[in-house]
Amino acid sequence: MRTNGFQGMLPALAAGLLLLLAGAAAAQEQQAQQDPPAQREQAKAFSFRFDPLVIGAMNTDVDTRSSKFQEYRDLSSGFLMGFRLLGEGTNDRYFDLDAANVRRDDARYTLEYGVLGRYAVLFDYNKIPHRFGNDGHMLFTRTGPGVYQIADPTQSALQTAITNRFTASPAGVTFDFLNGLVQPYLATAQAVDIGLERDRTLARIDLGKMGRLAWGLEYTHENRNGTRPYGASFGFNNVTELPEPIDYDTSGAELAGEWSGGNAGLRFGYRYSSFTNNISTLYWDNPFRFTSSTDPSAYSSPGSGSINGSAIGFADLAADNKSNVVFLTGRSKWGNWFANGSASYNQMRQDDSLLPYTLNSSIVGINFNGAKFDPTNPANLPARSADRKVDVTQLSTLFGTTFGPSIGLTFHYRYYDYDNKSHEIEFPGYVRFHAVWEPIARVTAAYSYKKQNYGAELGWDLARSTRLALLYDRESWDRTLREVKSTDEDILKLSLDTHPIEAFNVHASYEHGDRSIGPYNVGAANATFGEPESPTNLPDLRKYDEAARTYNAFNVLAQWMAGDAWNFTLGVNSRNDDYNKSLFGLQKDDVLSYNAEVSYSPGANLNFFLFGQRSDRDVRQRDRQSGATPSTNPLDDWSVKFKEVTDTWGLGVNGKLGALWSYDVTANYSKSDGEADFTAFPGGLPLTPPRPILDLPNYEDIKLLGVLGRLSYQITPNATAGLFYRYEDYTIDSFILQGLQNYLPGALLLNADVGDYRANLFGFDLSLKF
Amino acid sequence: MRSTHLALPLAAAVLLVLAAPAAAAPQSPPPPAAGSATYVGSDVCATCHTEVAGNLAKTRHGSHAFASLSAHGCETCHGPGSAHVEDPDNDALRPKITRWSAEQQSAVCQSCHKGGEQFFWHGGVHERRGLSCLSCHSIHSFHSEKAQLKETTITEACLSCHKTVRAEMWKNSHHPIREGRIGCTDCHNPHGSTTPKMIKAASVNDQCYTCHTEKRGPFLWEHAPVRESCLNCHTPHGSNHLKLQKTSVPYLCQQCHSNTRHPGTLYDGFRAPTLDDPARGSNRVFNRACLDCHAAIHGSNHPSSPYLAH
Repeated sequence: MRTNGFQGMLPALAAGLLLLLAGAAAAQEQQAQQDPPAQREQAKAFSFRFDPLVIGAMNTDVDTRSSKFQEYRDLSSGFLMGFRLLGEGTNDRYFDLDAANVRRDDARYTLEYGVLGRYAVLFDYNKIPHRFGNDGHMLFTRTGPGVYQIADPTQSALQTAITNRFTASPAGVTFDFLNGLVQPYLATAQAVDIGLERDRTLARIDLGKMGRLAWGLEYTHENRNGTRPYGASFGFNNVTELPEPIDYDTSGAELAGEWSGGNAGLRFGYRYSSFTNNISTLYWDNPFRFTSSTDPSAYSSPGSGSINGSAIGFADLAADNKSNVVFLTGRSKWGNWFANGSASYNQMRQDDSLLPYTLNSSIVGINFNGAKFDPTNPANLPARSADRKVDVTQLSTLFGTTFGPSIGLTFHYRYYDYDNKSHEIEFPGYVRFHAVWEPIARVTAAYSYKKQNYGAELGWDLARSTRLALLYDRESWDRTLREVKSTDEDILKLSLDTHPIEAFNVHASYEHGDRSIGPYNVGAANATFGEPESPTNLPDLRKYDEAARTYNAFNVLAQWMAGDAWNFTLGVNSRNDDYNKSLFGLQKDDVLSYNAEVSYSPGANLNFFLFGQRSDRDVRQRDRQSGATPSTNPLDDWSVKFKEVTDTWGLGVNGKLGALWSYDVTANYSKSDGEADFTAFPGGLPLTPPRPILDLPNYEDIKLLGVLGRLSYQITPNATAGLFYRYEDYTIDSFILQGLQNYLPGALLLNADVGDYRANLFGFDLSLKF
Repeated sequence: MRSTHLALPLAAAVLLVLAAPAAAAPQSPPPPAAGSATYVGSDVCATCHTEVAGNLAKTRHGSHAFASLSAHGCETCHGPGSAHVEDPDNDALRPKITRWSAEQQSAVCQSCHKGGEQFFWHGGVHERRGLSCLSCHSIHSFHSEKAQLKETTITEACLSCHKTVRAEMWKNSHHPIREGRIGCTDCHNPHGSTTPKMIKAASVNDQCYTCHTEKRGPFLWEHAPVRESCLNCHTPHGSNHLKLQKTSVPYLCQQCHSNTRHPGTLYDGFRAPTLDDPARGSNRVFNRACLDCHAAIHGSNHPSSPYLAH
């Protein structure tokens, strides 16, 4: 991980510039001090009030340690505090300090200060937790940043036991045998919670917002700290799931100016972003190897084929990167014409030092000329750093006019050029899963693409507040190094928006897209091989993002306000994607949703709403199982149909009971029911040796019920006491989580708790205004 | 790939040329006046509309700063009110902004609010679909703490029309929208943007990189569909599957990779372990499926990772 002197100075530079601009703002304040004494005296007056200050406490009772309960929040038992401190001064000065969840993992503090119409200063500190799983267990001990080790005696004992077994009978190295070996160690393994926290800071100053020329300077910083599940692997039979160490710093700054004059405006600026990973390499021991070794099948170790491999693995975690963007946007209106446009140029760079091929000292690398070399020495790499460069150019314009009072015509054009300028690096081979040298030359591929959209929309005001519009858009892609060099998609969209009376409106649209593709180059993957290889993917498979496709989508939203109290909403949304020219791969993806909402608000004493949505999703894909070469036998085909039905309900009621009591109850219920139905043919590879084909009735079956109720009593006009209760019930039955244990065939897992929970929270608070 | 380094200065020149005549053009006139009505002053309005005036006084629109920007107080937005004052029971003479077309309503607000977040309102999707500022905001009877929204929060304002998003954000894998950690406006600009779906950044990926900066790369070994669009694999508002995947792994990967040996293999329920029979499980199905080994799925810098394993 490199340090950059300029990068290190950047926060200081940004802070300095911020102070300079703040100084300019303060100078405007100072001007007031030069005014006559009476006015100065008046200008000093600044009154504060809490509106409100809330203090309280809550008790939380959860029946499991599932991380899903507090995935993105802190609902632990304890003290509660939040407040809003408002300040008003003469000459339109304002002050607003908002604090939520004070001293909790999800706290947020926002300070705004300024003079209306002149300048505004904003500071925001936002903590966002993200919990991935609790009570995971691992054989490893974290012995340093990014280093996970297993005690040498443990590694040695496991390797010895496996070696003895393999010597006696290679076929005896089975899951049951390995499971029996690791279980005693797992019984005493340390527990670990996996999760991280984002601490985000934002500082911003705006000058002259309501004037002709405005400036804004913004600085952001985020520290992300914690762990995240990571699939560290030594091969097909040796996954070792670990808590990836996360210690990221992301900094950014933006300086922008905006000029507004008459019917035009220009916005211009520069934006910088820097990502630094403070732990860029992960090292971890191989539970089944104390000493490093190799053989041609070591990537399948431990098993009947091999028990060799590396004693230690290492991974290159997220690389440091930077982005510099200059941008210019404009808008203009003259007569019946208008034009909007934007342009930006973004330089993205990444130049981390490269790790060696392997740490397995038993492996010998073979160079292009056949010479052998030590692959553990980074000096033997063809390059010492990544030196990756991408420039992105974006242009966008929308312009149009009206013909008479009813017809509007707009044109749009959009250009996005992802230009990968990275040079190719050719490696003479690579080490497969830290275990085996593969003498297959590989080349880095600088993927680039250009995307263009152009089209027009004709709008017709049929009647008062009723508009019919027809839009045509053509989306064209030009790619390098992928299977399909160019695709073109024609999109037609018809929309109707009507608001004939204040109480009723309808928004409806229908969209049809038709994508055609150029020749499909099955051998495109050879771009990353030094010598061409026979394609290993099915020649008739079409990757869906490059495949020919038609889609139809329609959306209808109707809203009716019946009288002053009732409000009804009905909606239907549908999208059908058809990959009808793809023999293999994604074939179809259809979604149909319909929703309804009713709300009733007869007055301040009662508000009620009820919402419901059902969504039906149907996905189909088809594949063919192959051996060493792509199969041509239709009996080897298999297909799967996924069905997901999701019901979502929401209910809310709040109101007053008499003059002093009020209540608020909300409930949400979400239920998804998924299934996967497989089809395969007897005699084909998928069912060889003969076995049943099992569908998945639990393709993500999830239920979440949440209820939050609150009862408040107004003690005085400035003091309110409240009691609240929260209930949540979450269940998950997912094929991907079923039967998980710490050791399963080919995988040592953390098996952290992300499962069911039921929670009850009680709390009280006092809200004060003064 | 042709160099486009001239594109930016050329675009700037075009924008300046377009802006010049408009800069000289007079500002749009205020909304239609009620016939030959004249201005009566905010104090007159407040004699009857005391509650509204009281609410307004607490807001920025009721501040001294606003008064210095607007010559006529209430009538800056509503238009001259003398006709209404002379005949208050005549509904037709009430200067109700809600009677005006969406374009006229927005023109009132845009006479001041045409920069910043509102820069691309004119020509934007919401404006073209018939919405106005008053579709979401209220000057006199708002319910939010900031931005004077008709709903209590930004998210609720968006969900008043975008109902499917309400359902999606309650799905198992979701961005922390329902927890209030982020909101719709962290990714979208509802006032308009030159990027489709009113994304604030230049593209979907550029928007995702603002929070997921570790994925920005570029990397030694790339996964091409990742570079083109995060939406090739993810659905950002909510998913029943891990990590906002559109379809669950391993099947998501198999929609593009049906290569020889393990990628094209059938992984049905027979390969999912159970507590009674863990031995039948395949590490290509359980836990994180393909990502159990291919951890660097977004790209890798490791010289030995052309298959994005580490």
